[in-house]
Amino acid sequence: MPDDLAIRIEDLSIKYKINVDTKRTLKNAVMRASKGERVRMRTVEAVKHLTLDVPHGSVLGIVGANGAGKSTLMRSIAGILPPTEGRIIVNGKISTLLALGVGFNPALSGRDNIILGGLASGLSREEIESKTDQIAEFADLPDGFIDMPVRTYSSGMYGRVAFSVAVNMTPDILLLDEALSAGDASFKEKSFTRMRELCEEARTIVIVSHALATISELCDTAIWMHKGNMLAKGKPEEIVDQYLKFLDVGTLPSNFEDM
Amino acid sequence: MTSAPQTSGSNNAGKSRDKNAFAPQIQVFEPHRASLPPLIPYLREFWRRRVFASELAKFTDKAEYLDSKLGKVWLVLNPLLLAMIYYLLVTVLKGGKHNNGITTLAHILIGLFTFYFAQTCITSGAQSITSGGRLILNQAFPRALLPYSSSISAFQQFLPTIPVYIFVIIIGKLMYPATQVPGITWHFIWVPFIVALVGITGFGLALAFATMNVYFRDTNKLLQYFMRIWLYLSPILWQPEMLHGWHRAVLYLNPLGPTLSATSHIWIDGLAPNLAEWIGMLSWALLSIVLGGYFFISRERDFAVRI
Repeated sequence: MPDDLAIRIEDLSIKYKINVDTKRTLKNAVMRASKGERVRMRTVEAVKHLTLDVPHGSVLGIVGANGAGKSTLMRSIAGILPPTEGRIIVNGKISTLLALGVGFNPALSGRDNIILGGLASGLSREEIESKTDQIAEFADLPDGFIDMPVRTYSSGMYGRVAFSVAVNMTPDILLLDEALSAGDASFKEKSFTRMRELCEEARTIVIVSHALATISELCDTAIWMHKGNMLAKGKPEEIVDQYLKFLDVGTLPSNFEDM
Repeated sequence: MTSAPQTSGSNNAGKSRDKNAFAPQIQVFEPHRASLPPLIPYLREFWRRRVFASELAKFTDKAEYLDSKLGKVWLVLNPLLLAMIYYLLVTVLKGGKHNNGITTLAHILIGLFTFYFAQTCITSGAQSITSGGRLILNQAFPRALLPYSSSISAFQQFLPTIPVYIFVIIIGKLMYPATQVPGITWHFIWVPFIVALVGITGFGLALAFATMNVYFRDTNKLLQYFMRIWLYLSPILWQPEMLHGWHRAVLYLNPLGPTLSATSHIWIDGLAPNLAEWIGMLSWALLSIVLGGYFFISRERDFAVRI
């Protein structure tokens, strides 16, 4: 892979089977077997033959309707979902914010959750502890909240801590899924500044967002995904325009009011 | 890592920053031709992030007992009270008090404590994947770290029961000097090995049940009954010596049978475990970790989709 690439995706396809039956229990399985019924499975083709290069220091935006395969693509870049076909090569350390919330124990304090998050992502205890203050400061919670149980947080505070963890891990590649919907206007401005800093340090960012204004403002390339296919790739404004035309609502200002 | 990270030493991604933080690396994610991901990188990542498992265990315990003052005491009190109940039951069923009352109590106590160690590994490990939802959706790491963390937690809960056992025996010996419970013998040197084998067996079975729980969410409910039946089938409320001839197969078909028999030999009879017990213990530990591990690791790529 060329040195200037952060991510190379070669002919990637991801399929998985989902169980159509509502309740996946042993009891139901036995009942079904006794009646001689088969399990109803459905194969979902989330990503179809996608090829894409993302250079270092670039910001890639992904737009598309629900079910387009955006999140699946992000998870596969993060190594959470393996490809069914094709190959993904990632050059650098990844930090992710794919499911909102630091995602551990709501009974533990924000600080404890940050430490656990860092350890899970492979940092050593010392490394994450040295970053904890920085993360807490960036999240800018009201006085003392960082040492209170996460269950006492508002959803905005929760999102801010999660975002702060993701951007302060000094990742080479940052994967953000709908992360910017958290936080108020001033936090958003701070997030944008931080992300621009990351870009200047030649770090790479991939953003999935329905906030089209975010895509236009932050990204230097965008792709439009639809039902697992990459329909278009190009300048963010053009892609956003095409996407909006497709949605058949034109470029109404309300679509940019999503932040 | 669900897929195969292949570490490469040189690249330009982060040459000037974070010198000692994370070595920048090239990772390649490809379809696994066999159902297992490449094992060496998997195990290397598992080992590298083991601190995460032990800290998760520590934090989870902390969260659990944050609100109750008696919290951690219950960990000891619960098996102790249960042991008392079973002791009463057994002595009543036997028809009154025998002169080896303390020996019976000691046998039940050490058996129950050991069994509970395995049980906690299995039951909390079985839930670790389904309750780890966000973590699994957000980050790539060897998923086996979650049940491993449950096993560490189970071990930390098991440790304080040993002094409790010793305390009870000392009191018993002071009250009934004729009691035949051994003092300190060289055979206690085997105890750490046996505890490790119980842990490995428990972890292996936890891997299997955790995987099953992802596919069938009522596995956990079933597990409670299963554990209870298993308890009665184990030589805890009865002595392993009660089995003769081919009936002894019951002992060796039970993954914890040889362990509990060996534990009883060491703690009650002051004897070293015999060869059959060693073979039984080692076989079950190996069998559970290999089969449970295979089942878990070959399925874990599926977890993010099914959670």
